[in-house]
Amino acid sequence: MFDVALKSAGASVVLASSSDEKYPPENIIDGNSDTFWSSTGLFPQEVVITYTSMMRMSRIEIACYNVKNVMFQYSKDIEPLNFQDLFEKELDSTDGQLQLEEFPVNNVEAQHLRVVIESGHDHFVSIHKLTVNGTAIHG
Amino acid sequence: MRHPKGEWPGVNTLLRAVGDSTVGKSSICQVFHSDNSHFSKNYTMTTGVELLVKLVNIPDSKDKVELYMFDSAGKEIFSELVQKFWEQPSVVMVVYDVTSEVSFSSCAKWLERVRCQKPETKLPGVVVANKTDLDERRIISPKAGMEFAESNGLKYFECSAKEMQNVDAAFYYLANEFYKLYQEKVEIFKTMS
Repeated sequence: MFDVALKSAGASVVLASSSDEKYPPENIIDGNSDTFWSSTGLFPQEVVITYTSMMRMSRIEIACYNVKNVMFQYSKDIEPLNFQDLFEKELDSTDGQLQLEEFPVNNVEAQHLRVVIESGHDHFVSIHKLTVNGTAIHG
Repeated sequence: MRHPKGEWPGVNTLLRAVGDSTVGKSSICQVFHSDNSHFSKNYTMTTGVELLVKLVNIPDSKDKVELYMFDSAGKEIFSELVQKFWEQPSVVMVVYDVTSEVSFSSCAKWLERVRCQKPETKLPGVVVANKTDLDERRIISPKAGMEFAESNGLKYFECSAKEMQNVDAAFYYLANEFYKLYQEKVEIFKTMS
């Protein structure tokens, strides 16, 4: 079991709806919650992360701020297409501290993960860290 | 608002222009959008949504704001889609016609309709007094407009969309305000870990 979404493990961000070069989406998967990706206005916002290979996911953790409605989707295709819903949640506002959420994922197999932020508690939201515990599927 | 990686245009700002029909919301947005070279002589009622997009430079920086101008229908014919899009505007522009008492007194109602959707979120806004070219027919004084703006936490501007005079200032002000808000929020994100 390891963090299959980690940049240093080969995962990459292939799409982001905001990309201020000072707060790029790669900050989500660098394993450091001091760095962050900032949305730059309007909703929905989305980020798509592609794993090095097909992964079996067991748990997703996210550290974010000002996020209200968030939806996770996954795709098994080689290209990041045909996403299916994984789960969706409305998060409470946490004044002055990060929103920390953990979602068990029942061994869903995926090549890509898509995070859609449908609304926020403010005009702008940030994602500081995303961790996906999982294992590579061999053969 | 999807952009290929590396092609981020700037802070994305949804400007919602509100006010009674015929006050000139569409004209103001169109004049700004087309760099003051366009004014529609024939008034056409806005039935749905018109979305104009323009990149605005932020002074003293290399940053830009991508301004989406959303000119809501003055007549109250709204689809569900329009309603949903309205829910989270970035900034608001309340427009009235200086020759129309009714349009001026409607401003409070229009403002409230926008603000009540997200009462906890700061919404930078302006009041725009349009049709200053009709000076002899003017009944709303600059003083009355300014007082309304001030008491509602808005900045006051006046213009003539027809003469293409002073239309840009309100847009530049709003783009800058939202850009500043983004800078402030990012500073807050930096304090978290």
